[in-house]
Amino acid sequence: MRKFAAGLLLALGLATAAEAADPIRVGVVLSETGPGASLGIPEGRSIRLLPREIGGLPVEWIILDDGSDTTRAVTSMRKLITDNRVDAVVGSTVTPASLAMVEVAAEQRVPMISLAGSAAIVAPVDERRRWVFKTAQNDALMAGAVADTMAAQGVKSLGVIAVSDSYGDGWIATMRPLLEARGIRVVAEERYARTDTSATGQALKLAAARPDAVFIISAGTPAALPAKALRERGYRGPLYQTHGVANADFLRVGGREVEGTILPVGPVVLADQLPESHPSRAIARQYRDAYEAVHGAGSVSAFGSYAYDAGILLQHAIPVAARAAAPGTPEFRAALRDALEGLRNVVYVNGVANMSPTDHVGQDHRARVMAVIRNGGWQLLGE
Amino acid sequence: MPHRLLLPLLAALALLPLLPGFPPFWVTLLCYAGLAALVALGLVVLTGVAGLTSFGQAIFVGFGAYASAILTTRHGVSPWAALPAALLAAGVMAALIGALTLRLRGHYLAIATIAWNVSFYYLAANLDLTQRNDGISGIPPLRLGETALTEARAFYPLVLLCLGLALLATRNLLDSRVGRAIRALRGGALAAESFGVDTYRAKLLAFIYAGLLAGLSGWLYAHLQRAVNPSPFSLTMSIDYLLMAVAGGVQHLGGALLGALLVTLLRDQLQSLLPALLGAQGNFESIVFGLALVMLLQGAPQGLWPLLMRPFARWNGPRAAATPPPAAAPLPQRARPAPGTEILRAEDLQKRFGGLVAVNGVGFHLEAGEVVGLIGPNGAGKSTTFNLLTGVLAPTRGAVRFLGTPIAGLPARRIATLGIARSFQHVKLVHGMSVLENVALGAHLRGRAGALRAALRLDRAEEARLLALAWAQIERVGLAAVAHLPADSLALGQQRLVEIARALCLDPVLLLLDEPAAGLRHLEKAALSCLLDRLRAEGMTILLVEHDMDFVMSLTDRLVVMNFGAELAQGRPREIQRNPAVIDAYLGSAA
Amino acid sequence: MDLSILLVLVQDGIVNGAIYGLLALALVIVFTVTRIIWVPIGEFVSFGALTLAMLEAGQMPGTVALTALLGLGAAAARLWAARARLTPAGVARCLLTALLPAGLAALLAWACLAWGAPQPLRILAALAIVTPMAPFLYDTLYRPMAGASVLVLLIASVALHLALQGLGLIFFGAEGSRTESLADSLLEIGPLLVTGQSLIILAVTLVLIAALALFFGHTLLGKALRATAVNRLGARLVAIPPALCGHVAFTLAGGIAALGGILISATTTLYYDTGFLIALKGFVAAVIGGLASYPLAALGALLIGLVESFAAFNASAFKEVLVFMIIIPVLLWRSWRMPAALDEGEE
Repeated sequence: MRKFAAGLLLALGLATAAEAADPIRVGVVLSETGPGASLGIPEGRSIRLLPREIGGLPVEWIILDDGSDTTRAVTSMRKLITDNRVDAVVGSTVTPASLAMVEVAAEQRVPMISLAGSAAIVAPVDERRRWVFKTAQNDALMAGAVADTMAAQGVKSLGVIAVSDSYGDGWIATMRPLLEARGIRVVAEERYARTDTSATGQALKLAAARPDAVFIISAGTPAALPAKALRERGYRGPLYQTHGVANADFLRVGGREVEGTILPVGPVVLADQLPESHPSRAIARQYRDAYEAVHGAGSVSAFGSYAYDAGILLQHAIPVAARAAAPGTPEFRAALRDALEGLRNVVYVNGVANMSPTDHVGQDHRARVMAVIRNGGWQLLGE
Repeated sequence: MPHRLLLPLLAALALLPLLPGFPPFWVTLLCYAGLAALVALGLVVLTGVAGLTSFGQAIFVGFGAYASAILTTRHGVSPWAALPAALLAAGVMAALIGALTLRLRGHYLAIATIAWNVSFYYLAANLDLTQRNDGISGIPPLRLGETALTEARAFYPLVLLCLGLALLATRNLLDSRVGRAIRALRGGALAAESFGVDTYRAKLLAFIYAGLLAGLSGWLYAHLQRAVNPSPFSLTMSIDYLLMAVAGGVQHLGGALLGALLVTLLRDQLQSLLPALLGAQGNFESIVFGLALVMLLQGAPQGLWPLLMRPFARWNGPRAAATPPPAAAPLPQRARPAPGTEILRAEDLQKRFGGLVAVNGVGFHLEAGEVVGLIGPNGAGKSTTFNLLTGVLAPTRGAVRFLGTPIAGLPARRIATLGIARSFQHVKLVHGMSVLENVALGAHLRGRAGALRAALRLDRAEEARLLALAWAQIERVGLAAVAHLPADSLALGQQRLVEIARALCLDPVLLLLDEPAAGLRHLEKAALSCLLDRLRAEGMTILLVEHDMDFVMSLTDRLVVMNFGAELAQGRPREIQRNPAVIDAYLGSAA
Repeated sequence: MDLSILLVLVQDGIVNGAIYGLLALALVIVFTVTRIIWVPIGEFVSFGALTLAMLEAGQMPGTVALTALLGLGAAAARLWAARARLTPAGVARCLLTALLPAGLAALLAWACLAWGAPQPLRILAALAIVTPMAPFLYDTLYRPMAGASVLVLLIASVALHLALQGLGLIFFGAEGSRTESLADSLLEIGPLLVTGQSLIILAVTLVLIAALALFFGHTLLGKALRATAVNRLGARLVAIPPALCGHVAFTLAGGIAALGGILISATTTLYYDTGFLIALKGFVAAVIGGLASYPLAALGALLIGLVESFAAFNASAFKEVLVFMIIIPVLLWRSWRMPAALDEGEE
């Protein structure tokens, strides 16, 4: 009971302290631990690079870790809304948690910017999803680029191995119609788990189906396991990966077995190789430099850029909303939502955002480039 | 089980959010803690009381949640109407999984629940029915008239109501005929079987009950969260529930509540406090949480609830003096065979344990209304013979007929229904249960009331008759003054008398007593002798193993002497005392 | 499925089964001696592999500091436990046994980084860093609650697992690592391609099992451990110190687990949280052996490895479901075979 009383006093203290000053508060829910940690950690680091002041108003970023758990993501969001009275919520890292948070955003009428991949978080924009936006590329945008590249490279039959989580599910569901439309047959579809110690069985099955290419769907270093297993089992065909692998750790673990792999990436990964005409070139380089100045050369990854871009969206929307209402009020949150929906031609790390009442991602082809792994590094494909 | 502090605790939980300045978010936390407490309560019954460790409670939360989610999102069923379906799903799955798994013992059972949980998680994550890893979102909220219960403040009363009802039902269940059977599972399963308890069914019952509570929690979860996916039903969550129950005190109903509150609030406080204390980079929550928990367990291995209850022990503990239960109509008794008719005949009994022959070719008969002593030096095979007669062991060879029915090889609880009751050489009373409750376990077969009637308190009339019967038997063995004390707090001799009272509750035709006088003082022995004499006069048949020769010789009508597993002699006490073979066996081996 | 595929799957299953088997052995040792179901053994798998990976990458692993810290904690705990009958020699022994391994580990790690040691030496260093943590944890966390029930000890283990996993994330980050293979060669035996590393894994497993058999069968200490396993009270009565047995059991288990992690990290990517699932399968194998029988546990591990390998080939999406559902009939069989004893459960 004493502990309880102490907690009570503490919570009260926090509540009153929060009322004293009146900055704009942005709650951030990230999977900094658990299975989503390899995504959540760079996201958290990127949030910490964001400015503490927007349009002359002080901004407070309050980061909570949800441990990649849906229940904790939802309670964290509720805590941010009721205790910290945040004006917007950024997060969460993974799709299932984001889907659950959509319900809270709609109920509490708080604008939310998800960092997860699945289009189902924001589309179709209905009564519930009115409050929800997203900075990570829709799987479909990336998948379209991959499917086009496969078709262009003459792939007729494809083997697929996907990680057995939401990321894998989302990609498989998105890819299927795209591949069909391009006349590419899926001859084998396998699943594996992030923490599996062997993918030999799956690799044998894939190799036995003799596909023209194999598409590996996974995020971060876990994507190296099937690639290695395939090469070990003598599969020599081209390998495709998703943008989820675009970090330095994947190259480190993948080594020479992932050489030649083709994948779509967010612009930040190839910041220096982007053509001068690419709108994101400058901001991507700026973000990368800022990130690597703190965390070391080569440490930047696409995942962090989603959080950074959520910050950029807010930096554009908050001044607009602040003209309509005072921060900390329901009116401000509604105005912020409207301002986010009204954003046009916002250049951020992942291309250019053009929001609309029917599109809460607002990205186009400028949000992705096709890359290939050469000499242990990323290279623009075809250039 | 002292429950008197539960009500004030629940009331405090209900009133807390009304306090001015109570942080609104804590109501949300209390909701989630309440949901977890429901599951942990099931674990108290299953693990703390019945001794069955389950790492799979999240499965049943999942069945409840998914059932409601699917019905309400895809079939337009109202969330309230989905509650029975959610409970049914959880209950039926618990029955199925339990039926397949509860034959397992100890660690095998724990591992099997892990296996079920891992499988459930991957099935939910890979089936279209459950919409794979992304799960089902857009679940409608519960509604009361026009108001949707979306806000935690509106939802919280419902959680409290469910929790209150669950606590009540659990208390009722444990304090009943079925409850005694469940409580006997932990360490007293053999005794329970010997009094007609189907321990497998009792296990299944505890498993289903815990599953139902978890299913209720799942239904609430689905409509509080309004989105379900596999992650809240993973093995990790099952471990979490067990962790809550153990931290709170796995043998106490209040422990479930306290553990759920403690873990939920601690996690939340760490999530907010640690970044402020230790700086932004790095996540120390799980580290500090784990260490805090280890320290708690080091300080309070029985959990937090008993520790906190210690100051209230006087108020909360057992009553200072035993009061007889209210009088009730006596239970019907079975017909007794006429004195002198043969009721039991054992022929050529043999029991081998591997190469060891413990009992070899023993045969004797018993007539109604006689007291027969089974004697012999240590290791002669007397207790094994008892176990063969009562179905604890199946004979390797030979036949036993009781009242004309062949009973060799029947399970103990079948033999109990025929009217054979026994006591044990090594006393087998249920720890933590009072003398009265232990004795009432013997009356298991004389009641009918099942779990549902017990939980709803519709069993009170029958329960009163059972308790009155138990009380009468306790008075008979002279233990009325200590009837309210925990049975294991009594002296060994008194515990033997408790066993006799328990056996008498069965209304037996034949009473088997294994060393009833061991550990008794002189006067107590005389009293016991009187009691047995009286029972004989009432037409009871008694077979007893005893080493106290004065006691045996003065009491028994006949003796069967065993040595090295074989029958040595039979006859009247006087003849036996003069039998040279017997004298040789007793003295020769000593000399 | 043709013969060559079959053989590859069998080989894959045996290699994974060998690792599960090692963990099962370690778990059985700890359980029989101390009644602790040692959940955090999975973290030792991860710590061993990732510590080695960091040494390879030329970085100082965080586990070195942790070992030193735990060494101090263990020394304090030992002194506290023996406070009533302390002699100067006793104090010195307490301090030395706790601090020496920690110091040695730090020295080895530093030497590896300073002079770029060859792979076998780095493996030794990783083992020297990770292994002592196990007995240190036994001193600081488990010994003060030695009398608690199996369930409470299990929950304490779960809590420790959470804490260690959290530390793992801080030490090694969320991304995984591989370590250098000891033998990069590929052997062709008939239709079968065998990697050198899988041969090494098998060889090390077999050698370890043989060494353990020798240890338990022919050394005084091993026999003392066996005696404690059979009858804790009896062992105490004949003056076998339970703490010593606990130390030996934990050291063996910690070392075996770390070695298992090091072995398998050359064939797969390991993460800070992989260990738990590997340990879970090792635990299942140990239970198949009744948490008592070493050969049955090893057989169980082999079964799990093979089922896993074939399930990955035939129905990869439902691999874990298949692996864990196969367990149930095996458990039923094992439970049915167990000598009948109705009365059980903890008192």
